[in-house]
Amino acid sequence: MLMEFLVVSVLNGAIYGMLLFMVSAGLTLIFGMMGVLNFAHASFYMLGAYIAYTLSSLGHFWLGLLLAPVLVGLLGVVVERFLLRRVHAFGHAHELLLTFGLAFIFEELVKLFYGNFPVDYRMPEELRFTAFTVFGTDYPFYRLFIGGTAIAMFALLYLLLSRTRVGLVVRAAERLPQTAEALGHNVPLVFMGVFGTGAALAGLAGGVAGAFFPTSPNMALELGVIVFVVVVVGGLGSLEGSLLASLLIGLFSSFAVGLDWSLAGALDIVGLGEWARGVGGLMTTTVSSIAGSVPFLLMLVVLLLRPAGLMGERS
Amino acid sequence: MAARLAGGTALAMLGLAGLAGAAAAEPLKVAIIEPMSGPDAATGELYVTAARYGLEEINRGGGFNGESIEILLYDNGGTAAGTVDKFKQAVADGVRVIFQGSSSAAAGQLTADVRKHNLRNPDSRLLYINDGGAALDLTGDKCHFYHFRFQAPAPMLVGPLVEAMSEAGELGTKVYSINQNYSWGRDMETAIRERAGNGGYEVVEATLHDVAKIQDFAPYVARIKAAEPDTVLTGNWSNDLLLLMKATGEAGLDVRFGTAFLDQPGNIANAGETALGHYLASTYNLAAGSEAFPEDYKARTGHYPVYLEPRVVIATRAFGKALEAVEGTGEGIDVTAIALALEEVTLETEMGPVTIRKEDHQAVMPIVVSRVERGAAYPVDGTDMGFAPVKTIPGPEAVYPVQESCEMQRPG
Repeated sequence: MLMEFLVVSVLNGAIYGMLLFMVSAGLTLIFGMMGVLNFAHASFYMLGAYIAYTLSSLGHFWLGLLLAPVLVGLLGVVVERFLLRRVHAFGHAHELLLTFGLAFIFEELVKLFYGNFPVDYRMPEELRFTAFTVFGTDYPFYRLFIGGTAIAMFALLYLLLSRTRVGLVVRAAERLPQTAEALGHNVPLVFMGVFGTGAALAGLAGGVAGAFFPTSPNMALELGVIVFVVVVVGGLGSLEGSLLASLLIGLFSSFAVGLDWSLAGALDIVGLGEWARGVGGLMTTTVSSIAGSVPFLLMLVVLLLRPAGLMGERS
Repeated sequence: MAARLAGGTALAMLGLAGLAGAAAAEPLKVAIIEPMSGPDAATGELYVTAARYGLEEINRGGGFNGESIEILLYDNGGTAAGTVDKFKQAVADGVRVIFQGSSSAAAGQLTADVRKHNLRNPDSRLLYINDGGAALDLTGDKCHFYHFRFQAPAPMLVGPLVEAMSEAGELGTKVYSINQNYSWGRDMETAIRERAGNGGYEVVEATLHDVAKIQDFAPYVARIKAAEPDTVLTGNWSNDLLLLMKATGEAGLDVRFGTAFLDQPGNIANAGETALGHYLASTYNLAAGSEAFPEDYKARTGHYPVYLEPRVVIATRAFGKALEAVEGTGEGIDVTAIALALEEVTLETEMGPVTIRKEDHQAVMPIVVSRVERGAAYPVDGTDMGFAPVKTIPGPEAVYPVQESCEMQRPG
């Protein structure tokens, strides 16, 4: 029984963590490299899902997965080139307000074209099968597909940033933009590329995850906050930190659901359990009933103990 | 010249008389306060469409006191704070009747505002028709004479649901209760536990979870599996229902769902075949009635009435009957008289009669339990699946006892 709980919770939590990483990887890139607080990031995720849905409803699921990152990436490039760059000189507040506004516009646009209700974006039949059975529960293959995509994404990004010339220039442009520019590198172009890539990653995540979770105009709102939690917990700009934070959040949430611990239960040890149950309220609130708040508790603890985040360099 | 002058005066007099006539029979202003933007706009849109359809139906029948009812729309963004603002605006606009339903939080705010307004302004009282807020305290602690609820709260749905499922032999003896951790979900959990004795089942486990925050329901499915229930009863709505159902289907878990909101648009399309065989308790089912209402609704709004829409039309029709009863008394607009008339209304619907319980102004409405089946009449979401009626429970049998906490001050 305990073994089953452990194995199932780890499996579920790890895959959910991978999904979170997929969505937040692009944000880490944009936030960490450019310092732009991109509130529209989750909207790129939503747009990716809707683009993939549109193509998949025409019978091209895989083409949808391919075009979602490409089109969303292009949109990201346009947003950076014609909007963000103009307000960059005025500081972070302006960038934040701009992306905040964009998030609203994207949401309303999606509602305008696709309606208010969730659309019927589902995985194709050839992916709808059980990968394996663990303790009598079927484990859908698509969850592994999500996990696999996330790992591939991490590996590619990591190698790109740490092992290639492109990565070198990007990191240089981020750390010492003037010096990089003096050495003949086109820093605005680098920023545009980074923003586009970040958006494309979100688009891909949307295309993959939208088929598993409902694709609706609210999906940006639902993930919008949690991806920021991931980036803050992981440490600004740290890809490894994001991965670690995503996995932690996924696992903590998954385990929290299964735990009926409460303060009253803890007080049983010292014989005060009955009294605590009499008090009720917070004393009898179980961990499982607040599982959705676990990421925020984690963020609180990390910010208190390590303000720079788990793997962040700057404080 | 003199003749022309006389003519002019006559015209002016006519104009004045016209004005005076308008003042005597001022149009009744009815507000619809719902979210038309923000995350709850999808639900708000349905409330607005249905309430407008119903109020325009009253206007086609001659309106009130010879004038068309004036319908005013207010967008509260789905929040209690937005509702406070729009309520003030509606009062300033001269509104006398308010229709609202999309959230219990907004309903709680609105009913308190209406109660206070009526205490302070006895000459321009307001009537609040709540066509959606399901929280029990709206007809309990917060009940007052000018609030009417046309919605079935948790105990009114759970009773019929378990009765019909058990008669169909599909309830089993072990029930898992999973609900959202706020007033509605807690009401559901309480109702599910209270019914256990009479319903012949045992609640093997009850879970409350955060509202609209959980993306991955797989851990909850693991818990459900461990408890080995025959049936899962849930009051979840929107993503919380959809994700739960999909995760259960994908894990290959063989359980029936008994639900309260499965007919929300998009659910069946998204869940696909996973939804087949699940149950729904609701206040209306098109397949259980004749074609007249759905066809007329479609002709005027562009779609068959779905989800909450038929219920909202029941509310407007009951309201229309109350207006008919007080019409012609020549007193202008007296919402106290309308409310008193509404208490007496018996509305014959195709599901059965709807009446108002005087003690707490809860509508005594029939409850229809249906099952998701292929080839059902009125398939939903562009699929071949729909809700096939299983059993209709008359209002008086379905309704819950009056709550002791309701102390209604009657006028006069």
